[in-house]
Amino acid sequence: MAVVVKFFASFRDAVGKGQESVEGVKNVASLLDELVRKFGEKLAEHLYHSGTREIRKTVNILVNGRVLNLSHELETSLKDGDIVAIFPPVSGG
Amino acid sequence: MKIPGFGRTGQIKLKSAHVAVAGLGGLGSPASIYLAAAGVGRITIIDYERIERSNLNRQVLHWEPDVGQSKVKSASEKLRAINSSIKFDGIFVKITSENVDQLIKGADVVVDGTDNYQTRYLLNETCVRNRIPFVHGAVEGLVGQVMTILPNKGPCLKCAIPKEPPEKPLLQVLGATPGVIGCLQAMEAIKLITGLGKPLVGRMLIFNGMDMTFEEINVKRDPSCRICGKRGR
Repeated sequence: MAVVVKFFASFRDAVGKGQESVEGVKNVASLLDELVRKFGEKLAEHLYHSGTREIRKTVNILVNGRVLNLSHELETSLKDGDIVAIFPPVSGG
Repeated sequence: MKIPGFGRTGQIKLKSAHVAVAGLGGLGSPASIYLAAAGVGRITIIDYERIERSNLNRQVLHWEPDVGQSKVKSASEKLRAINSSIKFDGIFVKITSENVDQLIKGADVVVDGTDNYQTRYLLNETCVRNRIPFVHGAVEGLVGQVMTILPNKGPCLKCAIPKEPPEKPLLQVLGATPGVIGCLQAMEAIKLITGLGKPLVGRMLIFNGMDMTFEEINVKRDPSCRICGKRGR
């Protein structure tokens, strides 16, 4: 068992796949570190403002369907079987 | 229409239904065309903008000779030509907190054809408060998203996207993208009216034209949501 991460839209393009299983991460912050280690700079550019670890306002992260408030919920614990979705909401019409 | 579960009863339900389409751009154009063609009895169309040449790649209700004209007038003419038996209310106004209740009053479904979250959140809150189903859609590039908000039965737009994404002044959209999403919104509205199928409640559908995928994100209702949660009501 592991945490399953689902990538949508530009995040899917950045990592080149729609889904990834990640083991051994205790919370969302450590999951993001692991994903950047695995997928490199292109993912980091999508997640963070350039040269920082500040998450872009274009990023939405859901854990088992619940949207996280990224200003104070990055320490949200994860357990095996959790599903994490990362997507950038679009705004045009 | 000889679609199983639709039939004469479904057509009559459509004829007696009232849909409000907020915004007549890339999403509102295809959505209102298919709603009119399907025979929705009354359609309220709301927009405060005039047509610019740069709109024409995606706002298929508006054509070259319409540049400079109001979108409401242009849309009303085309939609009446598609289906003359429909009652159209064309309202040339910007949606604000002062007028939103009146604008969508009596609608069975509201379709999101707007291009900004400020108006979307206003429509979302008003629809939740008035128990009116709201079909959200948005696009950018080759990506689009759709979610249906059924008040009290699933998450609202604020549960799915609590914070407004930053505005992009030069938003690029391939015209076919809102074509896809606007048609899906019309389909959701028709399904809600006729009771056909399973709506996108608690599911955000993401269309990615780059690799031609449709995928779903499960979204749960946030109990602490200020709009639809216990604290908000």
